[in-house]
Amino acid sequence: MTIWWLIFTLSLILAGGLAFLWVVIHVGRGDVHRKVAGTYQDLASHDVEHIFNDEFREELRNRGRLHFEKILGENAMFLQQDLRLTTAQLNDYMKDEISRQLKEAFTNYEQAITDAKQLAVDSIAKTKTVIDEQRQALGAQLQKEIEDERARRIDRFDKHMAEVVNHWIVTAIGDQIDLNDQLEYILGELETNKAAIIEDITNGA
Amino acid sequence: MAHETAKAQKPMMLPTLVFGLPEVHRLQRELEALEQYLAQAALRNKDSAPVLPHTSRLLEALATENRLNLLQPETRIQLRAFLKLVVDSAPMVHISFAADPSSAFTAKVVAWLRSNIHPLALLQLGLQPNIAAGCIVRTTNKTFDFSLRERLKTQEESLAAALQGVVQ
Repeated sequence: MTIWWLIFTLSLILAGGLAFLWVVIHVGRGDVHRKVAGTYQDLASHDVEHIFNDEFREELRNRGRLHFEKILGENAMFLQQDLRLTTAQLNDYMKDEISRQLKEAFTNYEQAITDAKQLAVDSIAKTKTVIDEQRQALGAQLQKEIEDERARRIDRFDKHMAEVVNHWIVTAIGDQIDLNDQLEYILGELETNKAAIIEDITNGA
Repeated sequence: MAHETAKAQKPMMLPTLVFGLPEVHRLQRELEALEQYLAQAALRNKDSAPVLPHTSRLLEALATENRLNLLQPETRIQLRAFLKLVVDSAPMVHISFAADPSSAFTAKVVAWLRSNIHPLALLQLGLQPNIAAGCIVRTTNKTFDFSLRERLKTQEESLAAALQGVVQ
């Protein structure tokens, strides 16, 4: 915006300079025409030439140049000030914008981290629940297996206890009992089963 | 004459010393040898009667038990037929004991068998130390377990009940 103002100002100054030169030139031409028209007019033109001679014109040019340079310097200063102000504003704006965006990004990151943390906590809690349930189920199954095994062993012990005792008695006795002492028992058993023995011997093949 | 008829009709008996088939075979072999010896003696000396040689305890017991005169050929023929009959048709009873029985013990068992089961019953002995006591009798088709092992086995339930009562 300031650059356009500067350009506009320079354009006005340049237009003013040109207008001044145009007026000077036309006034000079009028004097020539009037000189042609009359002597007075030539004299006036001579006076004009005398007043507005080359030195005077050079002086005016110098003054115009100085004034133009002065205006240029002032406008350059204004332009520099505007540029500094714009730069400062731009810096502030950039700072604010970057801060805002960083803050927003940090907020998003924080929210994402919070969500991830909550998700992890939920997942851990769920896993812990599942592990607890499995542990309880496993414990119950193990306890049941132990009880079953215990019952099975007790049952097997009950079933085989008499057999073990019998085996132990038979092994312990061995052949220590005299056969003569057993004769009465053996003959008694034979007598008891005499009929079956006779029948088998009589009818057997 | 009447006495000889009665004696001929009386069935022969095996002495208790003859337990089983090996003794019967031994008697058959000895009787065969005796037959040959007496035939040779008759050929050598036809004028005098032959003298009976020394025989085994089994043959002597068999002759004594049945009041037989082994010098008479008919008696020997009759005895050979009897032994063949025993080999062919005598019932065999197999009895296993926990220990090797003595001869006296075996004789008592054989006497019981022949007086209660069959007069010609033969005994085959076996040895089963794991029965502890008693015996296992095996006939043609059956087995009778009179062992202590079997007796304990039949009483297992009462023994288990008694042991459980003690434990509880």
